[in-house]
Amino acid sequence: MEERKIVDSLEALEAEIKKVREAQAKFATYTQEQVDAIFLASAKAANMARIPLAKLAVEETGMGVVEDKVIKNHFASEYIYNAYRHSQTVGVFEEDKEYGIKKLYEPIGLVGAVIPTTNPTSTAIFKTLISLKTRNGIIISPHPRAKKSTIAAAKIVLDAAVKAGAPENIISWIDVPSLDMTTLLMHESDIILATGGPGMVHSAYSSGKPALGVGAGNTPAIIDSSADIVLAVNSIIHSKTFDNGMICASEQSCIVLDDVYDAVKAEFIKRGCYFLNPEETEKVRKTIIINGALNAKIVGQKAHTIAKLAGVDVKEDTKVLIGEVESVDISEEFAHEKLSPVLAMYRAKDFTDAVDKASHLIADGGYGHTSSLYINVIKEQEKINVFQEAMKTCRILINTPSSQGGIGDLYNFKLLPSLTLGCGSWGGNSVSENVGIKHLLNIKTVAERRNNMLWFRAPSKVYIKKGCLPVALRELKEVYNKKRAFIVTDSFLYKNGYTKTIEKCLSEMGIEYATFFDVAPDPTLQCAQEGVKQLSAFQPDVIISIGGGSAMDAGKIMWVLYEHPECDFQDMAMRFSDIRKRVYQFPRMGEKAFFIAIPTSAGTGSEVTPFAVITDATTGTKYPLADYELMPNMAIVDTDLMMSAPKGLTSASGIDAVSHNLEALVSTMATDYTDGLALQSLKMIFEYLPRAYNDGLHDVEAREKMANAATMAGMAFANAFLGVCHSMAHKLGAFHHIAHGVANALMLEEVIAFNSADVPTKMGTFPQYDHPFAKHKYALAADALGLKGKNDDEKVEALIKAVHELKHQIGIKDTIKEYGIDEKNFLDRLDDMVEQAFDDQCTGANPRYPLMSEIKQMYLNAYYGKKGK
Amino acid sequence: MEQKRIVAIRTGKTIYRENDKLYKVFEENYKKSDILNEALNHARVEESGLVVPTLHEVGNIDGKWTLVYQYIKGKTLEQLMAKNPDKIDEYLELFVNLQMEIHSKSIPHLNKIKDKIKDRISQCEQLDATTRYELHTHLASMPNHDHVIHGDFNPSNIIISDDDGKVYVVDWAHASQGNSSYDAAMTYLLLQLSGNLTLADKYLDLYCKKTNTLKNYVQSWIPIVAAAKLVTCRKEEAEFLKHALNIYDHE
Repeated sequence: MEERKIVDSLEALEAEIKKVREAQAKFATYTQEQVDAIFLASAKAANMARIPLAKLAVEETGMGVVEDKVIKNHFASEYIYNAYRHSQTVGVFEEDKEYGIKKLYEPIGLVGAVIPTTNPTSTAIFKTLISLKTRNGIIISPHPRAKKSTIAAAKIVLDAAVKAGAPENIISWIDVPSLDMTTLLMHESDIILATGGPGMVHSAYSSGKPALGVGAGNTPAIIDSSADIVLAVNSIIHSKTFDNGMICASEQSCIVLDDVYDAVKAEFIKRGCYFLNPEETEKVRKTIIINGALNAKIVGQKAHTIAKLAGVDVKEDTKVLIGEVESVDISEEFAHEKLSPVLAMYRAKDFTDAVDKASHLIADGGYGHTSSLYINVIKEQEKINVFQEAMKTCRILINTPSSQGGIGDLYNFKLLPSLTLGCGSWGGNSVSENVGIKHLLNIKTVAERRNNMLWFRAPSKVYIKKGCLPVALRELKEVYNKKRAFIVTDSFLYKNGYTKTIEKCLSEMGIEYATFFDVAPDPTLQCAQEGVKQLSAFQPDVIISIGGGSAMDAGKIMWVLYEHPECDFQDMAMRFSDIRKRVYQFPRMGEKAFFIAIPTSAGTGSEVTPFAVITDATTGTKYPLADYELMPNMAIVDTDLMMSAPKGLTSASGIDAVSHNLEALVSTMATDYTDGLALQSLKMIFEYLPRAYNDGLHDVEAREKMANAATMAGMAFANAFLGVCHSMAHKLGAFHHIAHGVANALMLEEVIAFNSADVPTKMGTFPQYDHPFAKHKYALAADALGLKGKNDDEKVEALIKAVHELKHQIGIKDTIKEYGIDEKNFLDRLDDMVEQAFDDQCTGANPRYPLMSEIKQMYLNAYYGKKGK
Repeated sequence: MEQKRIVAIRTGKTIYRENDKLYKVFEENYKKSDILNEALNHARVEESGLVVPTLHEVGNIDGKWTLVYQYIKGKTLEQLMAKNPDKIDEYLELFVNLQMEIHSKSIPHLNKIKDKIKDRISQCEQLDATTRYELHTHLASMPNHDHVIHGDFNPSNIIISDDDGKVYVVDWAHASQGNSSYDAAMTYLLLQLSGNLTLADKYLDLYCKKTNTLKNYVQSWIPIVAAAKLVTCRKEEAEFLKHALNIYDHE
């Protein structure tokens, strides 16, 4: 072993830090078995040296009691070893293969340790042992007053560790301490374990390195009327005399309830404590505190020695000097931390007064440390609750001597043994518990990529085929046993007899019904509220919503208002980025009424989607609601109801369904299930929409294919969601009153080109969308439509062309401008429209995350039309 | 040079008056840098707008460095306090107000008090290594501020002019910038050293009250002040200062 050089200068310390770092790098490769063998050997060696080390500490510092320091050394080696002997500190300690996550322990590196004069050897043993267990290197900065004993303890641990296989130099120290060197050590360490005065702890935290700094206490002990007085008094004496009161958790004052005060005092006297008379109290006051600070000469001294310093005559074997004082303010010397067998005693008129006094004493210099209460735990749990609420301390000890109790594992076997007691933010510390190995470990987490879970949701029953309406409605009686039905529709449909079949069926089955037929296009909250008045008065157990998107949306909203009148639309309309993680918990639906949706046009898909939009007419705010709770319980898709749809409606809702399919297809959340629906639906629309448009009144086949295609498209986007085309269409509608389907049609070609980019500015964020492949999805659509192309680029081009042609066939114009939107008006409001479109709920699932400037360009292109078209 | 009248003799320097000028003549062994620093400090304080005598000249007379100041005719606050003990509260009020006015200033180029004391503690041979270590740690943890600090603020350095009634603060040799509580702790200790313990306590209470400072906070500077003072103090003061130093930084 090479000769260790004395560390007595900044240069020497820098060299030493380098050595310890090299040793630690080796140590970091050790296995758990190797580490445990080293931990055992060094704990053993420290334990064997407990008596010589205790003697050395007392001799060097002139403070404390040898026999008590033996206990501390014993504690620091044996208890610490025992607490962590089986603890894992190396390698993977947690793994979940399904979720693809594992965690492993890593050492932190170099620990910079500051050791106090009160517990030099035991703290050195403690800190070196926990550093070894965690494969860290450690350099100790001892206090000059205790450097010999501190270094001796560290050396014993080092020698044993190296003998057991640890790298040489894994533990080191500063031989000739100076503040500059301590500061350098703190700056160079990876973590600082600072036990010491506020000054030292302050430096540790100012170093810019993570620090576990632990400071002063001012423990008050309340003796309640219900306490076991003999146990209480003797515990306090036992604790207060331990190492002459130098443990920072030690009781500094004792607050006694009035009715037991005399008995407590008598017991203290009986057990060898001395009560100072007023004159002596004054003398001791002036001795223990100088200008508001603790006199160094009394720290860790015997009661007799301190009394002598103050000019007070007490017996040689006096255990504790007690001053009976009244003020808990910092101006009272006895209210300070005294680190010696000097105790303040207060009389409390009741428990509340006692807790107030204790709180004040803690504020005087013991924030975050320790407080203590003697009480009957069987009868007085309520008081314990009051006490634990009030104390700003990280350890609250009940019926326990606080010196021995605070360090853990002696009077409570779940309190972690430690010689470094965290005081939390109250004490300016980073930890609020007893410091242990976990504070010297870094935890690495290895997280593998996983796909986001998806599901497929649809109404539990979807009735299809021409003429299915009456058959479906029979279930209301036969399967569901419903008694009262409420029909929601618009006045046009009502007047033209669209509800007749329903009413007839209900009458035949003996189901009572009422009809609300005032739904307007773009339904308003006010309209829905009007409907809900009738609805609530009628108390239906089934709601039947028949019509286009507006009637079905209004029906859904009335359903919500009926079931949950207390709900706030602002909450329900809150934006989310994952419907399964949304902040707002949507209320449970279906408890009062069953919901049936019956479309009369082929397009919106609302009969199978969990979406609804409602506008507050007074504020103009649109509330887009989306939650699977809004999914209808039953959808009835009956072509009979669609035969007489006018041309404009057929074309607008048909092209809306095209956009549903194309957006669901390329959505980041698309699945095989939604792709299948979308591709088949697209194929049907391209084939039958022109026919339904041209001869809708007679072409039953075309109508039926369109009806199914629209509902299939609804299922696709109910699960895969939409994209930026709808975001932009929503705002075109809101700003310029362009019909929803037409608005989508106007943006559609732009969006296909936009999403097809191989190098998008930004990609959508979703685990399944692992590279920009929207172009390929569009090519699949082109394939489904039988369009020709040698590669994806050509196919996308063909798709855009096909969409363009389809629009022509069904009478949709090329540009926004052609719909009579004034250029100036359009441009003036463009930026607002862009920002709102960007923020639309639909934008989230788009495969290409759009910049606002890109949305703007698409709007401009759609307004003016592209050259060559 | 018959008009020369010696006003005071201090360690290393003699102060005399000639007409309306005050001459501070330094012994040859006095450090040149300290003398020039005093002049520079004074000039900076003068420019800050505080009421102080004007510095006229920095010169070398007969091989001795000399600073020439405006002579202020009047009585020191110390003299007034001795003469009118019944007015002590009024004087103390004036004293604290004046100190607060000084603290309200900021002069960026003055030496920093913590740097100054750090050197002093390192040089203080009367203290053992352990105490120096503790004092260094203690000092390092104290907050840095940038208030003007007189550094020797006591009633003998305050002169109430007979001519215009203005209150002048003299002797800016120890001026620096830093934490004003340091200055208050220094004043407290100086008053104690002057033997008037009651006045010292009264001063500290008044200062804390008027500046809304915790007494404990000012007190926490006392060991540092005591150490700083120890280097230049008289023998009989050393014991007292050492007692003030002998405190335990809680563990």
